[in-house]
Amino acid sequence: MVTRALVGMAGIAGAAALGVLATAGAGADIVANEPTPEAARSVAAPATAGLPAPAPVQEANIPYDGRFTFVRIRTDVSGGRGMPRSFLPGGRRGWGQPPWAHDYPRAERNLARILTATTLLNTYEGGSNILTFDDPELHSYPLAYVSEPGFWEMDEAEKEGLRSYLLKGGFVIFDDFGGPRDWANFEAQMMRVLPEGRFYDLSDLDPLPTVFDSFFEISDPEALAPPYRGGWPQYHGIFEDNDPAKRLMLVANFNNDLGDYWEFSDSGWLPIDLTNEAYKFGVNYIIYAMTH
Amino acid sequence: MLTSLFEFLFKYRPVVFQEGDFSLGVAGAVATGAVVAGLISVFALLTYLGVRGKTRPLDRLVLGGLRFAGLLVLSFCLLRPALVVSTVVPQQNFVGVLLDDSRSMEIQDFDGRSRGSFLQETFGAPDSPVLSALSDRFAVRYFRFSSRTDRIEDFSEMSFMGSRTRLGPALERARSELASVPLSGLVLVTDGADNSGEELTEALMPLQAQGIPVYTVGVGEESFQRDIQVSRADPPRTVLTGSSVVVDVVVTHMGYEGETVSLIVEDEGQIVSTEEVELPDEGQPVTVPVRFTASTPGARAYTFRIPVGVDEQVTQNNSQTALVSVEDRREKILYFEGEPRYEVGFLGRAVADDDNLQLVVLQRTAENKFLRLNVDDGEELQGGFPDTRAELYAYRSLILGTVEASFFTGDQLQMIADFVDKRGGSLLALGGRNSFARGGYAGTPVADVLPVVFSDADARPDGYHNFVRIEPTQAGLGVPALQLAGTEEESGARWAELPHLLTYNPLHRIKPGATALLRGVADDLQEDHVALAFQRYGAGKSLSLAVQDTWIWQMQLPLEDETHETFWRQMLRWLVDGVPDQVTGQVPRDRAEPGESVALTAIVNDSSYLGMSNSVVEATVTTPLGEEVELGMDWAVDSDAGEYEADFTPSEEGLHTLTVRAYDGDDLIGVDEAYFQVAPQRSEYFDAGARTPLLERIADETGGISYTPETVAALPEDIRVTGAGVTLVEEMDLWDMPILLLLLLVLILGEWGYRRVRGLV
Repeated sequence: MVTRALVGMAGIAGAAALGVLATAGAGADIVANEPTPEAARSVAAPATAGLPAPAPVQEANIPYDGRFTFVRIRTDVSGGRGMPRSFLPGGRRGWGQPPWAHDYPRAERNLARILTATTLLNTYEGGSNILTFDDPELHSYPLAYVSEPGFWEMDEAEKEGLRSYLLKGGFVIFDDFGGPRDWANFEAQMMRVLPEGRFYDLSDLDPLPTVFDSFFEISDPEALAPPYRGGWPQYHGIFEDNDPAKRLMLVANFNNDLGDYWEFSDSGWLPIDLTNEAYKFGVNYIIYAMTH
Repeated sequence: MLTSLFEFLFKYRPVVFQEGDFSLGVAGAVATGAVVAGLISVFALLTYLGVRGKTRPLDRLVLGGLRFAGLLVLSFCLLRPALVVSTVVPQQNFVGVLLDDSRSMEIQDFDGRSRGSFLQETFGAPDSPVLSALSDRFAVRYFRFSSRTDRIEDFSEMSFMGSRTRLGPALERARSELASVPLSGLVLVTDGADNSGEELTEALMPLQAQGIPVYTVGVGEESFQRDIQVSRADPPRTVLTGSSVVVDVVVTHMGYEGETVSLIVEDEGQIVSTEEVELPDEGQPVTVPVRFTASTPGARAYTFRIPVGVDEQVTQNNSQTALVSVEDRREKILYFEGEPRYEVGFLGRAVADDDNLQLVVLQRTAENKFLRLNVDDGEELQGGFPDTRAELYAYRSLILGTVEASFFTGDQLQMIADFVDKRGGSLLALGGRNSFARGGYAGTPVADVLPVVFSDADARPDGYHNFVRIEPTQAGLGVPALQLAGTEEESGARWAELPHLLTYNPLHRIKPGATALLRGVADDLQEDHVALAFQRYGAGKSLSLAVQDTWIWQMQLPLEDETHETFWRQMLRWLVDGVPDQVTGQVPRDRAEPGESVALTAIVNDSSYLGMSNSVVEATVTTPLGEEVELGMDWAVDSDAGEYEADFTPSEEGLHTLTVRAYDGDDLIGVDEAYFQVAPQRSEYFDAGARTPLLERIADETGGISYTPETVAALPEDIRVTGAGVTLVEEMDLWDMPILLLLLLVLILGEWGYRRVRGLV
């Protein structure tokens, strides 16, 4: 029997730290590194009056150096839905970013700073690496983040890459999607990857899966309201061998957008309490991936 | 041959001359002899000098010399020379004859017959000249010896079935049994292949002190013409179920150089591994590592054998059997990690399916915040890292991740060192940004335990890291935990294919006594990095694995690749291997013969692993037929604290189980089991060549003589002259020695011949 427990009372202190950091304006500086092929395909997005400016370019990936480095997956998008793959104007929210790049890079930068502030994780705080599922380099980073999987498409190489990644021990966070159409696309893509897989609504499991108390104790995951979209937030996942006692291979924040909370935590646009809760999810996911 | 010639010429054997004192039989012999010889010599000289004629001075000198020498010989004989020898009185003395009754006497290397046939012909046949001569002179008492020594009345009591050859106890038994009678000497008839491991000196000292000579008669060839021997195979006494085991099997041979033979490993008769062995030059041992998996729990008899070769003289030494306790139990390992990192998750996953390993994880995720995984209950590690020895010593092994030394109190650091040193646990220190020198461990008790050398000067800046290719060293190739494939070659090739790993901790030196098992190689490293090192420390062992991320092997190799899982399962099994419990039952010799006493031992420690000498220890031996024999175990005063002993003499053949229970008052401290096999032993057939030098040493040190089957006929007469006991002084005439007659004839004929040649007749 596996027993888990948290020792100490850092949870409260950690939450307080989140609040401090969320109001302190983290992630304001963006320094472009050397351009990469990805960067060459990117273009600057137009600033929108009254809103924080998105990243002008995709920054260069850093080589693996032993630190935890957030990885954002660049995906193809459903051609029929008119979404760009690269940094182009006219994205879904009009930010000039393709769906997979939403909240980039401020979301991951802010999250990295929170990780450093609240945990002992050796974290790269400069942003994230952007990789595709069929990139062998992805296997140097056992945690990956996918934004807007409602628009996600994969070729065979990406499908095989993701399957291999998950089964070998990788953990993927799917975020920022909602509604039946998004779910249908996401589920269809995942069934291509793991046809044997079964989605569990994690909030419905009793006891709650370990991922909700791997660092912070999240007793009611559904209590975190999404920042803007409608629908009841749900957290779905697929376990190894479809056994909830085993390792969770992926988590899908359906009807929610944690990345938005992370991105705008320094802007005052979103409530601090909810932002703190969103950070708890992020920290928990990462600590869970480290330990399971 | 030379001895016989000597005896023909000089009438007596050399030993008579060695033992005897020279004397002349005429009263005032020396003076009279000198005067007579002088007068004769002067007369002869004058006679020859006075002769004139055709002789030359040289002729006169030669002829004078010959005549002079002849007269001297004659004079010598007239003086009645004799040897005064102390000889034993016939039939008033005893001789003890000790006959080797061990199985090696059945080896057929005595003129194509068994060694025992020599014993039978020489000391068992009524018409044997040696036996008759001995019986004529002495009262002869016979003993047979092997693992024990018994008095026998006649040769028919010999069986040649003894399991061991113990020369020392045999000599001691015969000496003590014949201590009350006049003893002329002991005759030791054996191949000399003592396999008792006992020191002979102690048995020889009383013999030397009492002046009792030992006459040894060696039988058998010192080395065989054609023989293959599996000399040694020592698998671990205890392994976990499913463990990969590598056993170094030592093979020697005579007469089969260059041939390839199969070394087969059998688990209770079922072949579990086969290794082809090319035999080197004869007499040169070859060590063959054989691999197999201990998959069936329980006490298993593993046999390591080589099929009998063509024309082998000794076929019984082609195999070795060893008892291995394959234990199906869950061993607890504590992995303390100082920060969140992937190594924790991947390591845990690699061994998650191993029912014999319980990896308890304590991970510090933030300051004063810990995550516990796989604990038995809510109280385990509730206070973080153990701060008492009893709590820490509940684990068999400790894996120390990247955590700075300052996290621990001084007592905790000492406790970790004691965990290895005193408790006998194992410590594996992993690399990381807060490990080794970077973690500030230099000068701490933990640094003393680790197999690598580092100091604060080795600490690199925070950003330092390097990718290294991991290669096994020569020593590492033979370590079971590092075997990634079925054979050493395949395993070596597999290592070469693995993705490079990252290290934050450049280490280049190991301690004296430590062994580097894996090295990290990189183009920009001037010296190889010590990736994995090992050393025994006190009662336990310590290892350092100075890399950051073995999980890379899991993620970057193909999905179906099992390298990462294999590596960690084997490593953790190696870590817990041999780590003692509080109560340990032991049977130092796990094979015995029926009727042979078996020593049983129990080690009892308290929760801090200090020996307890005041506990109550009960032992139960369960025989193959299910009978349970209760034994009390006593603390051995002359042994270490906490060591209890008992003896058991089995009567049945088969597997016996020893169950040890130790109590502190009414509280049960622990229970342990050990096994031993009772069966006829074959140790007599190993290294069974005759040991002539040993027999010569025994004879030399006691004043006896060593013989071979060719020279043994002289034994009775030699004992008569050289033996101890009731003796009388005997004069042995020398005047009638054939050599003197021959000398005289040579001188006379020489003179005559010279005259003939020179025309002086």
